[in-house]
Amino acid sequence: MAAPLPDITLASPLPPPLPSLVNGRRLRAQRVGRALRLWVPAGVLILILAICFLLPLVVSLPSSTKGDIIYNNEAPFSPGHLLGTDVQGVDIFSQLVYGGQVAFEVGVAVTIIGVAIGGTLGIIAGYFGGWVDAVISRVLDILIAFPALVLALVIAEGLGPSEMHTIWALSVFGIPAVGRVTRGATLTIRGLPFMTAARLAGTRGWRIITRHVVPNIAPTIVTFSLLGIGVVIILEGALDFLGYGIPAPTASWGKMIANGQQILSAQPEYVLIPSIALLITVASLNMLGDALRERWGTQ
Amino acid sequence: MALVQQTQLQTGGAGAREGARRLAGSPALRTVGRRLLAIIPVLIGVTLLTFAIMSTLPNTTAQAILGLNASPAAVAALNHSLGLDQPFWERYWHWLVNVLHGNLGTSVQGESVNHELAIHVPTTLGLLLYALVVSVVLAIIVATLAARKPNGIADRISLTVSMLGLSTAPYAFAFLLIIVFAVKLGWFPVLSGAVTGPGSFFRNLTLPAAAIGFGLFAIYTRLLRADLVEQMQREDYIVTAKAKGVPPWRVLIRHALRNSMFTLITVIGLNLGALVGAAAIIETIFQVQGIGNDLLTGISNHDVPLIEGITLVFALVTVAGNLLADIAYAVLDPRIRYGSSTS
Amino acid sequence: MTDALLEVEDLRVTFALGGREVRAVDGISFTVTPGATLAIIGESGSGKTVSCRAIMGLLPGGTAIGGSARLRGTELLGLSDAELRRHRGSDLAMVFQDPARSLNPTMRIGLQITEAIRTHRTVSKREAQTQAIELLRLVRMPAAERRFHEYPHQLSGGMRQRVMIAMALACRPKLLIADEATTALDVTTQAQIMELLLDLQEELDMALIMISHDLGLAASYADEVIVMYAGKIVEQAPAAGLFGAGGAVRMRYTRALLDAIPHLERPAHTLLPVVGGRPPDPTALPPGCSFAPRCQHAEDDCRATVPALAEHAPGHRWACWHPCENGGAA
Repeated sequence: MAAPLPDITLASPLPPPLPSLVNGRRLRAQRVGRALRLWVPAGVLILILAICFLLPLVVSLPSSTKGDIIYNNEAPFSPGHLLGTDVQGVDIFSQLVYGGQVAFEVGVAVTIIGVAIGGTLGIIAGYFGGWVDAVISRVLDILIAFPALVLALVIAEGLGPSEMHTIWALSVFGIPAVGRVTRGATLTIRGLPFMTAARLAGTRGWRIITRHVVPNIAPTIVTFSLLGIGVVIILEGALDFLGYGIPAPTASWGKMIANGQQILSAQPEYVLIPSIALLITVASLNMLGDALRERWGTQ
Repeated sequence: MALVQQTQLQTGGAGAREGARRLAGSPALRTVGRRLLAIIPVLIGVTLLTFAIMSTLPNTTAQAILGLNASPAAVAALNHSLGLDQPFWERYWHWLVNVLHGNLGTSVQGESVNHELAIHVPTTLGLLLYALVVSVVLAIIVATLAARKPNGIADRISLTVSMLGLSTAPYAFAFLLIIVFAVKLGWFPVLSGAVTGPGSFFRNLTLPAAAIGFGLFAIYTRLLRADLVEQMQREDYIVTAKAKGVPPWRVLIRHALRNSMFTLITVIGLNLGALVGAAAIIETIFQVQGIGNDLLTGISNHDVPLIEGITLVFALVTVAGNLLADIAYAVLDPRIRYGSSTS
Repeated sequence: MTDALLEVEDLRVTFALGGREVRAVDGISFTVTPGATLAIIGESGSGKTVSCRAIMGLLPGGTAIGGSARLRGTELLGLSDAELRRHRGSDLAMVFQDPARSLNPTMRIGLQITEAIRTHRTVSKREAQTQAIELLRLVRMPAAERRFHEYPHQLSGGMRQRVMIAMALACRPKLLIADEATTALDVTTQAQIMELLLDLQEELDMALIMISHDLGLAASYADEVIVMYAGKIVEQAPAAGLFGAGGAVRMRYTRALLDAIPHLERPAHTLLPVVGGRPPDPTALPPGCSFAPRCQHAEDDCRATVPALAEHAPGHRWACWHPCENGGAA
């Protein structure tokens, strides 16, 4: 006699639900955090740029280069001088504003030159490889080994300090820096399967570069450039500090720090104010670069 | 090669031959050899370019020495005696030949460049080393603590401090240090005195080293922390280690950190060149008797030999840094050291 | 059953992915007796690896684990990491899929093995080295003493896997989980490693859970087979009961898997009856049977209600409303 069919017993009764992992509140907090990390530094940067470039067009600021020695060492919030005046009687706030103009002009100019020349060289070296790569890499190596400081000092001393000379000198450092990163990024992209597919499909070199390589390495270049602007601003400040950057009467943050050096112990604020301006500017650039890197998922 | 001779002396005969063969065939040594050869064109390129640039600039060396009131005849005479009226490739050649004989020439002020640099370069290198060692050690400690619990408290603090370090200008930070530690607290002198021994070394160079080191610490910490976290979260061998029951700290330090050191070493090497420049600036703030001051003096005097000598030092340090990074990789990474499968 | 080595009951693993909950393992239960060989078969995403990692406590943070997994009576889920570490690598060990990536490339293999030993036993370095070389001999590694000092990249794939096994066996575990241990190896090496594992089982009286997507492997080496799909067990039976002459595969998915194995006897140029469609999206599982969208025999009740896993025949469980008749393709 065949055994009767066993009872159909359920292997497990309806299980109780697990505690929910997807915490709505935590997710929203994460999203808010991410947005803040992007927009706060972006906002600060826009504010700084507005103050440096737009404010002087709207408001008449006291001179940033000449001051009345009678009114020196004024305290902040004194009439006509938002942040007071320095040892020479020159308005501090104006110096900050015009010094900021210089900082951004040099920073952005060097970065643009770096991306234009260094970026192009890097893409060519990375994409074509072979002896082209060898030659370009060697040139970049030499440029990087070049002490930018010495060069900047030599040019400034020989031709006289000026904003243009500073830009040229710092470009010697900027071009190979961007070049290396671009080359690396291009090499990475080049190895990907879709690139081989494009080549096999017969796409010409230039089209591949413009349509595939550039859009894919653009995020890396942008985030690197943002950090780069910060580095250049700091370097430019160093040159000004040494006296070999922007020529004397024009205001610059580095010059402000140098001027404040003598009375450091008595009145540290002359050094601290431009230092803080530097800090906020560069930190905003860095944080923005980080936030973009987070959003775009690049290196 | 000297190494081969040494091995022969030590083990003699067949053993030496075997050792030499293994050395010559070692992929690590070949990489090193290749790199050493690649340095030479770079050094020549850099020094040649510097010479060329300085030649294209209006040559006012003699003018600078004699002052603005000197007569054109006197300036011309001084130019001639200093050999400054020769075409630049001739001057460069003379300089190069001298350098290969170990002579860096005479500065415009009559001092031997060798002598000047011999006194001042060690101080600068000492400062650099101090800054480097302290920042690397601190970076390793902080990054490891941070990576233990990503987004935890230690991590958030380390990220904030790193961002600050990344964003401060060393020369601005130097003044902050002076205000707090020299003026208010009086722990260190404002201006650096001569470095004669360990005591004066630390007393005089700590603040300058800290000014340079803060930025370094920031870069290294960020890099190491990112690398460690990536390893712990993505690498399979970490899972294996955990599966063996290894405690989390050991996994982090004995496995992840071990592998992250490569990236760190490479970055340290690549950074070395920029470091010397930063050191020069900081030196002027603290009046450290290093090559920074030499550089500024040389620039204002249009002192070509001195400037070239310093440029050479800068370029050497940069290139040495790159080389060390490559060597370290080749020596430490067992995949390169021992080549491919020997089954 | 009090003599069971591992008892898993209603194991569930959920994690959050992009704001949604994914039920990677949706209530599975099985038992492993000492010395037995259990094969867990499934596609990628079926939950086979996740379930075993949950038992070992190797899942990343941010996962919710429910149910029970008892190793000789000790409940493993819910233990603190420190307590679980005492079992990991000693009673309970795991071998992974890709030995090239699963070994630390900058550490000599001997050191990696002695680490496994010294984590759980207090022995001197010398003693641990001796034991490690013994282990290498046990896994039939040629030139064991020389290999002890070598790095992973100096070994072939098969040898690396032997090293992994040696590390897992360091403390004579009672249960070894082999997660796709032979998938990355060529067929010959695969057979060698499987034979090795089986011999080691006998020598050390060790139970083995082999996770794989290869039914053929399960047929050749396992005592009991579990088939998983979309986080659930869909068929479970002794290997003899499923494959071979007296075998009777019931669940449609298992049937489809068997049919998709190429046979030499089939006439040339026959279309391979692969399982159509794609693995289910774990964030959007269909209401009824998870396999229904890809099943050729699916009916309305399949799509409406989840079939329960039940013991329809002695020792043979399946979850299907319209199972195959008598193991044949029907």
